[in-house]
Amino acid sequence: MAALEVQNLTMRFGGITAVNGVSFAVSPGQIYSVIGPNGAGKTTVFNAITGIYQPTAGHVLFEGQRVSRPFTWKVVASAVAIGLVVAVFFGLAAVNVDLLWKAAVRDNAGGAKDAFPTAKVIDDAGRYIGERRDNAITAALVGFALGTAGSLVVWQRDRRAPDVVCRGGIARTFQNIRLFQAMTVLENVLVGMTRSYRANLLGVAVSGPGHRREEDAARRKAAELLKFVGLAGKHNELAKNLPYGDQRRLEIARALATEPRLLLLDEPAAGMNPSETVNLMELIRKIRDRGVTVVLIEHHMNLVMGISDRVAVLDYGVKIAEGPPQEVSRDPKVIEAYLGKEEVS
Amino acid sequence: MTLARLPWFQILVLATFAAYPLIPGTNAVRGSAQFVPLFSFAILALGLNVVVGNAGLLHLGIAAFFGIGAYVVGILTVPTFPFHSSFLVAMVLATVISAAVGVATAAPTLRLRGDYLALVTLGFGQIFIYAVRNLTNVTGGTQGLTPILPAMLPGIEDPDTRALGLGPTWRGYPSFYYISLFALAGTLVFLRNLENSRLGRAWVAIREDELAASCMGLNPARLKLAAIAIGAGLAGMAGCLYATGLKGTAGPQAFDFGRSMITLCCLILGGLGNRSGVLLGVLLLIGFDSVLTPEIDTWLQEQRVNPEGKQYLKVAGWRLFVFGLALILIMRYRPEGLLPGRRQRHELHTEEPTPGA
Amino acid sequence: MTDLAQFILIGLVTGSLYALIALGYTMVYGIIELINFAHGDLFMLGSFLALTIVGVIGATVAGSLGAAGVMALLLIVCPVFCAAVNVAVDRIVYKPIRNAPKLAPLVSAIGVSFIFQNVGLFWFGAQDKNFPDFAGGSNLLDGTGLRFTWEDLLVVSVTLPTMVLLTLFVKYTPLGKAMRATAQNPTAARLMGIDVDRVISATFAIGGALAGVAAVVYGTYTNTVSYQMGFTNGLYAFTAAVLGGIGSLPGAVLGGLVIGVVRSLGSAYVGEQWSEALVFGILIVILIFRPNGLLGAKTREKV
Repeated sequence: MAALEVQNLTMRFGGITAVNGVSFAVSPGQIYSVIGPNGAGKTTVFNAITGIYQPTAGHVLFEGQRVSRPFTWKVVASAVAIGLVVAVFFGLAAVNVDLLWKAAVRDNAGGAKDAFPTAKVIDDAGRYIGERRDNAITAALVGFALGTAGSLVVWQRDRRAPDVVCRGGIARTFQNIRLFQAMTVLENVLVGMTRSYRANLLGVAVSGPGHRREEDAARRKAAELLKFVGLAGKHNELAKNLPYGDQRRLEIARALATEPRLLLLDEPAAGMNPSETVNLMELIRKIRDRGVTVVLIEHHMNLVMGISDRVAVLDYGVKIAEGPPQEVSRDPKVIEAYLGKEEVS
Repeated sequence: MTLARLPWFQILVLATFAAYPLIPGTNAVRGSAQFVPLFSFAILALGLNVVVGNAGLLHLGIAAFFGIGAYVVGILTVPTFPFHSSFLVAMVLATVISAAVGVATAAPTLRLRGDYLALVTLGFGQIFIYAVRNLTNVTGGTQGLTPILPAMLPGIEDPDTRALGLGPTWRGYPSFYYISLFALAGTLVFLRNLENSRLGRAWVAIREDELAASCMGLNPARLKLAAIAIGAGLAGMAGCLYATGLKGTAGPQAFDFGRSMITLCCLILGGLGNRSGVLLGVLLLIGFDSVLTPEIDTWLQEQRVNPEGKQYLKVAGWRLFVFGLALILIMRYRPEGLLPGRRQRHELHTEEPTPGA
Repeated sequence: MTDLAQFILIGLVTGSLYALIALGYTMVYGIIELINFAHGDLFMLGSFLALTIVGVIGATVAGSLGAAGVMALLLIVCPVFCAAVNVAVDRIVYKPIRNAPKLAPLVSAIGVSFIFQNVGLFWFGAQDKNFPDFAGGSNLLDGTGLRFTWEDLLVVSVTLPTMVLLTLFVKYTPLGKAMRATAQNPTAARLMGIDVDRVISATFAIGGALAGVAAVVYGTYTNTVSYQMGFTNGLYAFTAAVLGGIGSLPGAVLGGLVIGVVRSLGSAYVGEQWSEALVFGILIVILIFRPNGLLGAKTREKV
C-alpha cells in the first residue's frame, strides 16, 4: 500500500488551473522528489496534500485513506445536541421568557429560609408553556433546524483542516520559512509536540506535579530532536536570530516533533551552500532511516539526484515525467522544460 | 504554586493594597466603595487580556460577561427569587455560566476574519444589554437587582469576623475587601501558570502564524475557544465580586460597550499581553475614572463653579475626550503600551498573503 | 397584506438611509482595510451642524427660502463639513500610522469616535434634541392603503440618486477607477502612477460627504437627534456593510435595505425592544453560512 497517493489532483483558482490532473504514488520509506521550473504548481500540490487547499478535483490518499475527520455518529450526536440547545433557546424566546420567569420563579419566591420549590416551579413553567404550545413548538423546530444545520456546515468546512492532516501523520516545512520568530528554538519544537500532552486546565492552574512531569518529558524529547538535526546547544536562541541554514533545520525539527509518518519538505536546501547541502542530505537519509517517508520539492539537482529514490517532474501544473532520478534527468521533455528558463544550480 | 514567583510589580501592588486597611486612619468608604470595584475591574481586564493579548482576538463585548456574572449572582441571591444561594455557589455558577455562554456565542464565529469577529462581539454585547433591559421580571430592568446579601458558604450565613480583626460581617469592610484582593491574587497566579504552559505557548504560536501552527497540529479554533472560555469565566467571576461588593447589580448601563472599551483601553494603555501592564493600566485608568474624577468634581461642585451643570465644566464631561485622545496618542507613539510584554504582542493576528511558488 | 407591504416600505426607506451610511464605511474599508468606528459619529456631527444652521437661520429667513431652499442649503453645507472633517482626521490620525499593524488604526478610530461623541455632548448636551420637520407628513399614496409621505419621498429622492451617482462615479471616472485599483492592490496602483494618498483622501472625503447627506435626511425624517445617535446608527450601518460584504458597494446598499426591512418587520411583529437584537442575530446567522457576507468575495492566503 502506498504511503501517499495523489490521484488526478486538480487545483483551480478562479481562472487559473495551477495543478491539472497530477497523479503519483510514494511507497513507504521512500525519498520522493517533486521538481520542476518555478510556477509549476509544486507547492500547490503540497498545500492540497496538507489541507491548506481543498482539491478542486481528484483525491489525496494517505496510507490508503482520505485524510479528513470521519463523519461518525459522534458528529451527528453533537450536531443534534447543539440543535436541541438552540431549539430550547428559540422556544423560550417564543413564549416570552420574561413572563415565563414571572409565572414560574418570581411568583414562587417565598421566604428567605424556604427550600427551592422545585416541583411548583416545574409545574408552573409547564403550564405556562403549555398555554403557548404552538408558538413554542414552531420556534423550537426552527431553532433545531438552524442549530443542527449550522453546526454541520461549520463542521464540514473544517473537515480537512491542516491540523487534522497533521494529526493524521503528515508534517511539512515551508518554502518561505514560517518559524515562530519571537519564540526560542526550544519553544518552536515544543509547539510541535501537542500530541503527547495530556494535562488538563486544573493541572495547569496549580502547576501541579503531573503537569510538570509532562513538561520535563517534552523538553527532553525536544532536546533530543534538536540534537538530531544538529542544533544542540542553541535551545534558548530566538528563532529569528538563527542563521538561515539553522532556521531551515529548526523547521525540520519542529515538523518531526509532530511524530509524522510522512514528511513534506518544501525547498529545504534553498539558499544553502554545497557543504550545508551535503549535511542536509545526510539528515534526510537519517530521517528516512527513522521510518519516515519523505517527499521533497527541490531545485538543487545534486540533492535531488543524490538522495531520491524516485522523481516526478511538473511543468505548468502537469506531470511531464516520473521515474528513477537518472532516467528523469535524461528525459528530453524535462530538459526542454528547464532550458530557456533561468539556469538552476 | 508560589506567590513569590509573580513579577515584582504585581507583588508590590498586591502588598500595597493588602496593607491599606491596616494603616490607621485610612478611609473605609474608599476601601469598600472604590477599591473593591477596582479589584473586580482588574480581574475583568485580566480576563480580556487572555482573549485579546494571548489569543489575539479583538473582543469588543467583554462587559457582557461581566454583566452575566453580576446578574447570575443577583438572580441567585436576591430575596425576590426563591434560589437563596450562598456566595460560593453563586460565584462558581457565575464563572461557569459566563464561560459557557462565551463558548456558545463564540463557537460559530471563530473562522470569521478579525474585523468581523470584532463586530460580532460588539453585537453580542448589545444583545445582552437589550435582553437585560427587556426581561424586567428576570433582571429588574434598568433598576437592577437588589439587595445582594448572600450567605457566605452553604450553611454558613455570616461568620463573625471580629475575632480576626476584620469587622463585624464578611460582606463588609475589610473582609470582602480581602476576599476580592485574594481573588485578584489567585487570578494572577493562575494566569502566570497558564502563560507558561503548553496552552500559553500554543496561543503565542497561533498569534504569530496561525497557518503554520495549524500545520503543526494545533487547532486554532479550539485554542481560541479555550481563551474565550477562560476570559469570559474570569469576567463572570469579576462581575460576581462587583455585584456582591455593591450589594446589588447595577443597571444594564454598567455593562455596556463603554465598559468593554474602557477595559480594552486599560489593556492598550498598560501593555497588551503583559499582566503587569494590564494591572498598571487598570490602576491608571480606573483610578482616573472612578477615584480621581469624582473627587475633583465633588470639589468643583463645592466651589460652585458650575451652577448650570454644563458638561464642559465637569471633569466627568471630558471623559470621552480624554479616553479618545489617550487611545490615539498611544497608538501613535507607544502602541505597545507602557509595560510591553516580552514578546511585543501589540499586534492582532491578521492574515497576510505571502508570495508562493 | 397591506400591513406587511407598509412595513416593508418603511423598511426600505429607513434601509436606504442605513445604506447611505454603510457606503461610507465600506468605501473606507475597501481602500485601507480600516473599520472607521468614527463614521457614525461623524454622521451625528453632521446632523448637529444642520440643526445649528437651522437654528441660526431662524424662522424668518427659513420662511423666505422655503423648505426646499433650507434643505438644499443643508445638503450642501453638511456634506462639505463632514467631508472636510473626515479628510482632516485621516491626515492627522490615520495617515501617520498607515503602515502599523491593523490594531493601531482600529483603536485610533475608536478614539476619534469618542472624541466626536464628546464634542457632540458639549455641542447640544446629553438630552435628545428636536429637529424640525421640513417635509410634512401628508400622505402621497392616500387611498392605496399605503402610507408614503413627503418625508419618505425626501429620503428616497436624496438617497437613491446619491447611490446611483456614486456607482457611476466609481465605475466611469478616472478617480473612481483609481479608487477601485487602490482597493484591489495599492502597490500596483502606485506603480501605475496613481497617487495613493490623494485617492485615500478622496475616499474619506466622499465617505464623509455621504455621511453628511444622510445626517441631513435623518434629522428631517426622524426629528430627533442626540449625541449618541452616531453609535447606534453607525452600528446598524456597519452591520449592513458587513452583511452585504465589506468592501462591496452594492453589498452595502443591499445590506442597508435588508437591515432596514428586518428592523421594520421586527418592530412590527416581534416588538420594538427586540428589533435591534434581531438585527444582530440575523447578522450572526448570515456570517455563519456566508463568512464573507452576502456579496463579499472570498480572500485566500497564499502559502
